[in-house]
Amino acid sequence: MGFGKFLERVLHLVPVLLGVSVIVFIMMALTPGDPVQIMIGDQAITPEQESALRRDLGLDRPMLERFFVFVGNAVQGDFGESFYHRRPVSEVIAERLPATIELSLVALIFALVTSIPLGVLAAIRKNSIFDRIATVISLLGVSLPGFWFGILLLMLFAVHLNILPVAGRIGYASEIAPITHFLLIDTLLRGRPDAFLDALSHIVLPAITLGLPMTAILMRVTRSSMLEVLQQDYVTFAEAKGLSRRRVLFRHALKNALIPTVSVAAIETGSLLGGNMIVETVFGWPGLGRLVVESIFLRNYPLVQAAVLLYAVTYVLLNFFADILYTVLNPKVKL
Amino acid sequence: MNKIHRAVLASVVALATAAPAVHAADLTIGFTLDADTLDPANHRKRETETIIRNMYDGILTRDSEMNVVPEIAESFTQVSPSVYDFKIRSGIKFHDGSDLTAEDVKFTLDRLTVEGAMGNDQTSPRKSLLGPLESVEIVDGDTVRINLSEPWPILPAMLPFQEVVSKAFVEEVGTEGLATQVNGTGPFKLVEWRKGDSIIMERFDDYYGGATDIEPVGPACVDRVIFKIIPETASRVAALLSGDVDIINELPTFSIEQVKNNPNTDVMTVNGTRSFFIAMNMEGEHFDDPKVRQAVAHAIDKDLIIDRILGGNAASIDGILSPDAFGSSELPSYDYDPEKSKALLAEAGYPDGIEVTMDVEGAFKDTAEAIASLLTNAGIKTSVAVGEGAQLSNKWRTKGEPKSGDMYFSSWGNGSLDPFDIFTPTHRTNDRGNSAGYANPELDALLDAAAVELDTEKRAEMYREAELIVNRDLPYVYLWVPQDIYGVSKRLSGWKPSADSRINLHDACVD
Repeated sequence: MGFGKFLERVLHLVPVLLGVSVIVFIMMALTPGDPVQIMIGDQAITPEQESALRRDLGLDRPMLERFFVFVGNAVQGDFGESFYHRRPVSEVIAERLPATIELSLVALIFALVTSIPLGVLAAIRKNSIFDRIATVISLLGVSLPGFWFGILLLMLFAVHLNILPVAGRIGYASEIAPITHFLLIDTLLRGRPDAFLDALSHIVLPAITLGLPMTAILMRVTRSSMLEVLQQDYVTFAEAKGLSRRRVLFRHALKNALIPTVSVAAIETGSLLGGNMIVETVFGWPGLGRLVVESIFLRNYPLVQAAVLLYAVTYVLLNFFADILYTVLNPKVKL
Repeated sequence: MNKIHRAVLASVVALATAAPAVHAADLTIGFTLDADTLDPANHRKRETETIIRNMYDGILTRDSEMNVVPEIAESFTQVSPSVYDFKIRSGIKFHDGSDLTAEDVKFTLDRLTVEGAMGNDQTSPRKSLLGPLESVEIVDGDTVRINLSEPWPILPAMLPFQEVVSKAFVEEVGTEGLATQVNGTGPFKLVEWRKGDSIIMERFDDYYGGATDIEPVGPACVDRVIFKIIPETASRVAALLSGDVDIINELPTFSIEQVKNNPNTDVMTVNGTRSFFIAMNMEGEHFDDPKVRQAVAHAIDKDLIIDRILGGNAASIDGILSPDAFGSSELPSYDYDPEKSKALLAEAGYPDGIEVTMDVEGAFKDTAEAIASLLTNAGIKTSVAVGEGAQLSNKWRTKGEPKSGDMYFSSWGNGSLDPFDIFTPTHRTNDRGNSAGYANPELDALLDAAAVELDTEKRAEMYREAELIVNRDLPYVYLWVPQDIYGVSKRLSGWKPSADSRINLHDACVD
């Protein structure tokens, strides 16, 4: 891919982000519910005090003006102040982001290491009992709602078996000074295997809950593309050459069968972001998803706008990345 | 497959055995929401205050009976209708070892009430909680005088909501620093705030002991307190049952049995301060007629719903005030009598009944549906429409603008337990919580006079009168005040839930 192509794709981002910000802004502005009223709660206050608060939050200005101020500041990297935290939105988001990224990555790894072997196995033993079971599991994986499945896992592993913690990222006794803000990495860098295991025990259940739908989808993709590849002439030829079954499968078939899996995985990683909101709420995970959920209910406009923009950028970049990956894996395709 | 299973099991067992042992005197609270900030003057959320209040003390506080008692103040007196004097205790230390003085108290109040005092041209969002506070002065070394621009008898009831900061510390770290650092005078000091995850505090050994009227006086009992943030109800209950936490707030009624049946956990309740009611749109076509409103009141079997849906954890009300609030009294009840409802409807010109819709937030859908079926039995065919909180509040609390809709199942909190905070917003003409569209000049005048009446006995009498008026006019069907329900571990002692929903951990101990 030439640099020109690359630049073109990057420029595509501009209208997408502008469109997203317009939509988010309008959606938030049109959603009934007044942040000032929510903030005041159940109190007797005078109209003067109320309008002073409104002025302080910048909500006394007309919507159009607010939008242009928002866009004008956003292009300079200033997303305004969170109504509730009374600090710059970018700071509040940055604090929560590492937890979300860590959880998403572990969920991604979980999905990849489970879905690919299972998908391959299901393809090799097509129509066997194992294949059928795998089909049922993948169906459940896509259809089980995360909040329900997560709570089932909690009841089993935390309450009944009492072997995993219910909520949070790490026990408070495993205090470590942050380096990368990814606890699984920081605990190892600090030479604290006990804290690492503690962090791992906290992330297992949310990562499984978050990764399950992706596992299910990737398993189906891997299975069907493996089945297709196994019927190709070059596979028959390799077998005819007398190569071992293992060699045919892993050296010849799997390599090609994984192309669609990898690109679907890259795109699906974007959907992990959406799933985060539910999973983080169920498992008390201190990430961005939960912050956004809370902010939506409080009509904390600046934070929701910035977070949705961030989601949009990530999603677009992941799609872009998937395209590039596809061309690398399959040189026949050009961007 | 087998291999994978074994690998998972093995790692799970390894993790379980590797989990660090919990220290004996650690107390963990599974709490619904994280603090927005640790700055006592820069937030507007009850949950934030609950957390902060364990590290900061106030000028005044409340005992378990909800009486206002001095905390940092030694005593207070009302000098004139709009002037109060607070004598500040000596020997109170901030967490950094410095002494608290009257200067710090004045600084705190100025920071809360002076325009732009938060720095960066910002005014504290808590300013309105101190109403007509005009100025603060130090009259002699240890007495702080508060001057009000008009008489405001609920000042003492509102002061427990504010916490005293150190002037020197705020000037050093600024408003920005105060968002994440704590130098209070409370029983616990901040160890670490892991945003969104937990707030860890430890005992402040030089604590002055807290309010002298609240036993025991002295440093806190436990070594460490951890507020662990678990927003999802089912997960919070799971954390309690598994022993991860010792106290959880907002235990749902459907989990009460489960928590009681667990050998290590129990349930604690306290009368809440939130009144539930159904607003009837008095500007609408049916409910402008008092007979129809009375028909609604007679059609609802409150005791049945309290018993079956709320698990018995609520107190029935016949006016807006909680039985614990200042000025509340016994009022006439509208007994459950569906036949009478039908007769009233017929008298009002609706012999075949009426068809209405009741708006409700998702969290109270079950209750609203039970009420709807009772209403339907009595000829008021009611369908329930679920909406989101902020959206419904926008639709109903129109401050005088025309409103649509028939009925609204709603509530109003009253943390101060003073009628001013609940009666005025919900019943005064066009006030911000008046979802019924009720307009009664006689009541308005009474509420305005009661708000500034300084004679306590007379003031209580005025609110009693106001309650009788609304009980007769019935802009709302007054339903109940639910109890706040907490799940607690049996290893916890010395702690009681508090009606103002504070979680005060000073006296809490664990085995």
